[in-house]
Amino acid sequence: MDSITIGLWVTAGMLVLVVLGMRVAFAAGLAGLVGLVLVFWAKRDFGGEHLGWALTVAIKTAGQVPHSKVASQALSLIPTFILIGYLAYYAGLTRALFEAAKRWIAWMPGGLAVSTVFATAGFAAVSGASVATAAVFARIAIPEMIACGYNKRFAAGVVAAGGTLASLIPPSAILVIYAIIVEQDVGKLLLAGFIPGAFSAVIYAILIVGIAVVFKSVGPPVRGFTWRERFVSLPPALPIFFVVVIIIFFVYNPFGDAWGTPTEGGALGAFVVFLMALYRGMRWGELKSALLETAKLTVMIFTIIWGVLIYVRFLGFADLPGAFSDWITSLHMPPLLILICILLAYAVLGMFMDAIGMLLLTLPVVYPAVMALNGGEFVSAADSAFGMSGTMCAIWFGILVVKMAEFCLITPPIGLNCFVVAGVQPDLSVQDVFRGVMPFFFADAVTIALLVSFPGIVLYLPSLVG
Amino acid sequence: MAGHSPVLEDGSLLSRLDRKLLRLERVFGLLSGLAVFSLMVLAVISVGGRNLFNAPLPGYVDWIEQAMPLIAFMGISFVQRDGGHIRMDILIGQLRGRALWAAELISVLMMLALMLALVWGSWAHFQRSFDFAAPWWSRDSSIDIGLPIWPAKLLAPVAFSVLCLRLCLQAFGYGRAMVLGLRNPVAVPLIQNTADQAAAEAEQLDGRG
Amino acid sequence: ATEWNASVWGKRRAFTENVEKIAELVSEKTDGAFTINVSYGGLSKPKENLDAISIGAIEMAQFCAGYHPDKNRLITVLELPFLGVSNLEEEVAVSNAVYAHPAVQKEMAQWNARLLMTSPMPQYNIVGTGEPRDELAEFDGMRVRATGGLGEAFRAVGGVPTSVPATEAYNAMESGVVDTVAFAQHAHLSFGTINRADWWTANLNPGTVNCPIVVNTDAYDALSDDERAALDGSVDEAIAHYLANYGELLKRWDTVLEEKGVQKVMISDEVLAQFRDKAAVPARDKWIAEMAAQGLPGQELYDLVVSTLEKTRAGN
Ligand code: NA
Ligand code: NA
Repeated sequence: MDSITIGLWVTAGMLVLVVLGMRVAFAAGLAGLVGLVLVFWAKRDFGGEHLGWALTVAIKTAGQVPHSKVASQALSLIPTFILIGYLAYYAGLTRALFEAAKRWIAWMPGGLAVSTVFATAGFAAVSGASVATAAVFARIAIPEMIACGYNKRFAAGVVAAGGTLASLIPPSAILVIYAIIVEQDVGKLLLAGFIPGAFSAVIYAILIVGIAVVFKSVGPPVRGFTWRERFVSLPPALPIFFVVVIIIFFVYNPFGDAWGTPTEGGALGAFVVFLMALYRGMRWGELKSALLETAKLTVMIFTIIWGVLIYVRFLGFADLPGAFSDWITSLHMPPLLILICILLAYAVLGMFMDAIGMLLLTLPVVYPAVMALNGGEFVSAADSAFGMSGTMCAIWFGILVVKMAEFCLITPPIGLNCFVVAGVQPDLSVQDVFRGVMPFFFADAVTIALLVSFPGIVLYLPSLVG
Repeated sequence: MAGHSPVLEDGSLLSRLDRKLLRLERVFGLLSGLAVFSLMVLAVISVGGRNLFNAPLPGYVDWIEQAMPLIAFMGISFVQRDGGHIRMDILIGQLRGRALWAAELISVLMMLALMLALVWGSWAHFQRSFDFAAPWWSRDSSIDIGLPIWPAKLLAPVAFSVLCLRLCLQAFGYGRAMVLGLRNPVAVPLIQNTADQAAAEAEQLDGRG
Repeated sequence: ATEWNASVWGKRRAFTENVEKIAELVSEKTDGAFTINVSYGGLSKPKENLDAISIGAIEMAQFCAGYHPDKNRLITVLELPFLGVSNLEEEVAVSNAVYAHPAVQKEMAQWNARLLMTSPMPQYNIVGTGEPRDELAEFDGMRVRATGGLGEAFRAVGGVPTSVPATEAYNAMESGVVDTVAFAQHAHLSFGTINRADWWTANLNPGTVNCPIVVNTDAYDALSDDERAALDGSVDEAIAHYLANYGELLKRWDTVLEEKGVQKVMISDEVLAQFRDKAAVPARDKWIAEMAAQGLPGQELYDLVVSTLEKTRAGN
């Protein structure tokens, strides 16, 4: 067996374990470990007396990975971003945002739904997790929309779709993970998510207004807020803007020098929300449960990260990514068509898999292939297939892939956001939510098509930095 | 997909052991959470020190790298206790009774095999950085201010050992359920159907909006 | 056939040309019977290359002593500030002398590693923005991205060493997290700090990092006589290739400075002497005392570096 064959068998074995229900982190770790044993053993021609040696070397090599990969300054953004989200609940920021958005824009047709989308987008600026965002707004926004005469399926669909914005608009745990896997600059990626996230929100809003205009009964306008009421609603939502400004300005300051590094920005954002939560009466008991919840989610994500990286270390020894990208570049198809096929494959895979697990398992093989397709990591824009340099291609592909992963949160059969929304509102079934969210598939399809055709939407902000 | 599953409790020895271990796991989990909090504090000190006193925190990056293993590993068993590590349960969720317990048992035993290997491997990684004869017992130090790295490396085998204990308990729990044909075994995470699971997730966020 | 894996990091650059060249030479000399596959980060992390050698997972690796001083205490003698090394040939000579010392080889034997050759690095000069800092007083309060012993040297004259990963050095400069960054020329180019700079110190020469290439002892012993001869016999040629290649880069350097409008700052001998007195002597004495406390021949190695340097200069 040569190393490529070993690589393919071990990968197939891992996918079988994952499908059969083994926890993703451990399935990947086990596959990586077994693969390493085989690769080292193969080096000594599978001689019986060398099995013990191969086993020891493989175990020690795998045993390096957890500490070595996790002790990284860049990864420290993930727990910070998660903590911000949990603290934001206690600071009451979610309701404040929704209230402000409602008073300002509910007068339009479908206005309350548009408010919901903009409030989720605002909350996305402090929350890194889509599912949590959907759960929170299902509680706040759906009852209100139903009370104002909105169609309940439509209301549910709006929240499920709005929740997906959290992973594009910074801070975003999933973008940090992408940056780590592909070894690109975290700051630039976070920055790149900003316009596509806002762009998605606007497309959702246009779609909502369109639907509300055509089907008058779906989302009637809500009027009657005085200007005074409108302005009074702004201050409680202000900390969100502080956090946005801090994080953005630490990455990129349009007026001059940036204020620091992304890591510092994330941590300071969390600190502002923490102070706000203290001010709103958070005590040790609540802080403790926020810390425990943060720890749980963080550990879960980190376990997948190092588990998958054991598998990736094995891939390095087996040189499978190299072989795959050689194969991809040897195909006689236009590079853009191949890219679209890859994105469609993600759409299918995402129907069944969790976003983070999906990205971690596939990127080590897919990413080098996409980069090779564009002409290599160090290609200049002029010589490339997609008309952008290697670094820019990495950013562009990252945003596309994350948008795909988010899209999968609202598609059947496994659309986690829809499940969560249905779970929060007992009088809504999962089918109701899936039906309500259907129009947003088109919105997302349009967004993805536009991001593919006009990479500038993604690349404008990062191109301003260094 | 993921989520937290209920773990039943009763007065049996298995369940008592489960709760004893849970107490330790909770402490480890909280340590992990406090380490996240300390990251935030470190950044505030570093940025504040730099801008107010022109005195950035020496070795800021080194300290973060020391804190990360604390965050990443300590809660690993706490998460496994109620089945929080992500998996796809579309297929396994269709199984019932003995077949389900058998599948869970195999899965847990494979995890146990991996974790035992990793306890060994990460211990060896720690040992290479540790030297009784050297100052601070250190044979591996950080790049900037030369912090010894062995304490951070030691966290991996420690946390993984606790996870191994947890997996042994769960293996026993599933094995017992399989042999006795139990419907609702104690001390193991039970698969919820999607609706229950979503309700549980919503419950978690209850009252925090 | 013998297949080795060599672990380096980053992308192929002047710094890895010695490994690339030796892989090429060895394969040529053995008609492809002995091949070395150079991997850029796929097999191990830079800070863990010695671990991977010790385990036996890889057969050849590059690492830098300053990344983890406690793993290689003795080699860090070559990273002491102001040793007076002024070009790559001298860097090669002092490295070779230190690598040949039995105490150094014994320390590497703990990692099951055998020193093969060095990857000589030029001195880490600083780039900065605004007015050039060429007086000692101007280093006071200066935030400088410099790690380990180099950071200590700047601290001795009132500088504020600031931890920033190399990959964030550009952002750190842009955001004022640091005022200046210390790197070798190729790193100023690849991390983009030169694009942000107004000036570069041409002759501060405060020190550098030392980055050996090691091989796994068991794998080395398992080579056939021909293979071992091919490997050992290619070292000088690989180093010569490295020096020639880096020489080209240094020649281009002046053009780069001109293109980017970066001012070349010459520090006066007087200022250099002051800096040396404040930074070099205490750092050296501290290092020697630390080694002595652990029963390691620090003084001997330091003297070896000094005498080798003298000999090299006398020879030219
Ligand atoms: Na977000
Ligand atoms: Na889906």
